[in-house]
Amino acid sequence: MNTPSQSEKQPIKAADGSQISGATRMRMACLFVALCVGSLLVGARQMEWSQVVLLSGDTWLTLTASRLPRMAALILTGVGLAVCGVILQHIVRNRFVEPGTSGGLDAAKLGVLVSLTLMPAMGKFSQMLFALGFCFVTSLLYVAVIRRIQFRNTALVPVIGLMYGSVLSAVAEFYAYQQNILQSMQGWLMGDFSRVVQGQYEVIYLILPIAVLAYLYAHRFTVLGMGEDMATSLGLGYAATATLGLLLVAITVSVTVITVGAIYFVGLVVPNLVVLHYGDNLKHTLPLVAVGGAALLLACDIVGRLLIFPFEVPIGLTAGFIGGAIFLVLILRGEKQ
Amino acid sequence: MITVQNLSKAYGTKTVLSAVSAGFPPGCVTSVIGPNGAGKSTLLMLMARLSEPSSGDIFFDGKPVKGIPTSEYAKRVATLRQSSDFNMRLTVGELVAFGRFPYSRGVINDNDRRVIDESIEFLSLEPLRNAYIDEISGGQRQMAFLAMTIAQQTPVLLLDEPLNNLDMKHAVQIMHALRRLCDEQGRTVVLVIHDINFAANYSDHILALKGGQIRFNGPSGETITEALLHDLYDLDFEILSSERGCVCDYFTPRSGV
Amino acid sequence: MKGKGALWTIFLAVIVLALVFVFAGSGLNFEYIIPKRLIRLAAIIVGGICVALSSIIFQTLVNNRILTPAIMGYEAVYLMWQSMLLLVLGTQGLVTIGSGGNFFISSILVLLYSWVIHRWLLGNGNNDIYRLLLVGLVLTMVISTLTQFVQLRISPGEFAVFQGLSYASFNRAQPATLLYSLVALTGVCVVGRKYLPELDVLALGRDQAMSLGVNHSKLVGLYLALIAILVAVSTSLIGPTAFLGIFVANIAYALTASRRHRLTLPTGCAIAIAIFLVAQFLVEHVFNYKTTVSILVNLVCGAYFLLLTVRVRGTL
Repeated sequence: MNTPSQSEKQPIKAADGSQISGATRMRMACLFVALCVGSLLVGARQMEWSQVVLLSGDTWLTLTASRLPRMAALILTGVGLAVCGVILQHIVRNRFVEPGTSGGLDAAKLGVLVSLTLMPAMGKFSQMLFALGFCFVTSLLYVAVIRRIQFRNTALVPVIGLMYGSVLSAVAEFYAYQQNILQSMQGWLMGDFSRVVQGQYEVIYLILPIAVLAYLYAHRFTVLGMGEDMATSLGLGYAATATLGLLLVAITVSVTVITVGAIYFVGLVVPNLVVLHYGDNLKHTLPLVAVGGAALLLACDIVGRLLIFPFEVPIGLTAGFIGGAIFLVLILRGEKQ
Repeated sequence: MITVQNLSKAYGTKTVLSAVSAGFPPGCVTSVIGPNGAGKSTLLMLMARLSEPSSGDIFFDGKPVKGIPTSEYAKRVATLRQSSDFNMRLTVGELVAFGRFPYSRGVINDNDRRVIDESIEFLSLEPLRNAYIDEISGGQRQMAFLAMTIAQQTPVLLLDEPLNNLDMKHAVQIMHALRRLCDEQGRTVVLVIHDINFAANYSDHILALKGGQIRFNGPSGETITEALLHDLYDLDFEILSSERGCVCDYFTPRSGV
Repeated sequence: MKGKGALWTIFLAVIVLALVFVFAGSGLNFEYIIPKRLIRLAAIIVGGICVALSSIIFQTLVNNRILTPAIMGYEAVYLMWQSMLLLVLGTQGLVTIGSGGNFFISSILVLLYSWVIHRWLLGNGNNDIYRLLLVGLVLTMVISTLTQFVQLRISPGEFAVFQGLSYASFNRAQPATLLYSLVALTGVCVVGRKYLPELDVLALGRDQAMSLGVNHSKLVGLYLALIAILVAVSTSLIGPTAFLGIFVANIAYALTASRRHRLTLPTGCAIAIAIFLVAQFLVEHVFNYKTTVSILVNLVCGAYFLLLTVRVRGTL
């Protein structure tokens, strides 16, 4: 270590000194607002500004019944998925984990399917409960297994998760095959916001309290990421905090799966980009992760709506491609350093 | 301050620690030494409450530690293990701030800030404060972790092989810092250590384990002897003293066979 | 010697199973039933050997016994191609191309895919196989999403055809495609056999292998190429098999109590063939085609995989 000279003391930063500058915040905020406006403007139905101002006519209806709910759902889903990803990454202590690479997403799908066939009359509520239960149990099992194994390489952790997922989706397919709903299952499980209209999506607002709770627990989740021994010696109840984290993840995943379907990569790409520049201290980075997730999803949605205008590509596909591409770049660049 | 009584630990049928009873003198550096597989780290983990004893008790200030909640225990005993699997991207300053977690639960107040600054100053880490810990050297990293443990302001510190993989300079810096923690702040330091020379020169007290049992336990002056060390390690020791300390030479057999 | 004994026992079992499979309830009808069954038997043998060889060699290369080449995205590419084919050409187009043509094109696509990612990621002395895994994982996810999307666009009738193609089955093997597969398999075996001793050394890991004088990056590249051929053949011939490889490899390690490829490779082949025979036999005679070989194999092997990960202790 360099011998420190007391004379050249640097100006002492606050001990919990924020790493995210004001300029970054401003830029993120501007980008986010621009994307929101874009999301409201793009769509099959042309909007007349005069009508918006006058609060009248079709446009107003389009706005309140379809565009605004859609934007709200997009933002909340983006926030939820990104926050979920970062929490899972801290619990599993692996950067490549998200609900899509830990079996959680597939478990939720299976849950929805089981609910549909066992109690079709029960509707969204039972679907959500089943999705939640399946996702939670699978995540617990996954974390338990991963923690016991010493991996030679961190890349193996998501690989195992993906394989867990394919066991579950094999069961789901078997099930759907018998019920003859395989194709329609593929349909409603692919992330798609075109179904989001007033009266159909409100359960997604559950993500709001979850995001708040995640923020309140941000410090604890960071400590969780230091590993069980260090967390315990810092006085954190490891098991309880990890369980809470997994529960938050399970709720978010189940809510998004039943309202908009499965969306991959958002929970992977956004936290990894944020970590690269702003580190792992969730107390500071969680808001950025949340906004980043929302922004990414809004952008993917706009792309999906413009690509084959006036039709739209489901967001599951655009997010898969854009997210996958960003992630590939991250992997390849990361190795070079 | 911290004492263990009849402490045993078994994994399955394999006993790694059997009926160990010992006290750790307050305000002293105690080195736990012994050959591989002697149960040193196990003893430390039990004292840190990172694993549960099969039988026996640990007492803190005369009270069994079983009844103390984890969050409270973290204000009395801080533990530092090898952190080779630590993959978080935090700055040194942020890491040290986490030492205040038992008190602040994430909301840092002025007192916390002062303690963090002192800990960083204590180890002269100020120049590295804003560096990410995954971008500094192994020795600097270990110093940063030690600073976090110091910021926890516990009367007792437990360290598991803190000198592992460090070069000589960093090893000396760490041991010197531990010495100062005792001498200047009156803290009790217990460390598991393999380097017998560091143990002999920096600690007040030696606890030697072998095969899960205590071989000897006493002030370093009385325990660092050729006979006891030979008994512990099955090696031929020669202890050379000078005014700067002593050197335990075990590198070659004495008779030259 | 335990290894050798187990090997002979399982070979004997396979021969018995094969005889039962061909002759049971056939009424010794040599005109129709038995030739049909012989073709299926041949598909089972070729497919089984491909699956077993590819997964055991893959596990050696990545030094891990719970992985399968499927995670590199080969099967995902196959499925995407099939769904694209149906989207663009429809069921009619499938008939035009013919099963032989489809076999060729899908094999070539899988090979092309593997060639591209190997060139891209393993070229220039770069031999981080885990990075390859990670990229394979991402590509698998992206390609599967695309396949899912395409599946939404095709008609239910076409979807039924797609399902037929996406489940492992021995009924669609044609004598011609079988012949091509056999040629490819023979080629792989001839090349692979030459470097068989090196394969045991590769299992020690990169650094150890190199210090023992093995050209690690060259051999890994070679074997990955061979694996790609094997996977291309087996997927095009009988469809995706996902977890079977893990099951086969681990049973082979357990039965031979060895990691020497001279023992594990033939044992693995025999086990894979035996499993296919039993599954096909069950589907034909017990379930009366109410389930598919793929579903049976996937359920058993998937369950085994879960068990394996739960029971694993230590390093992977």
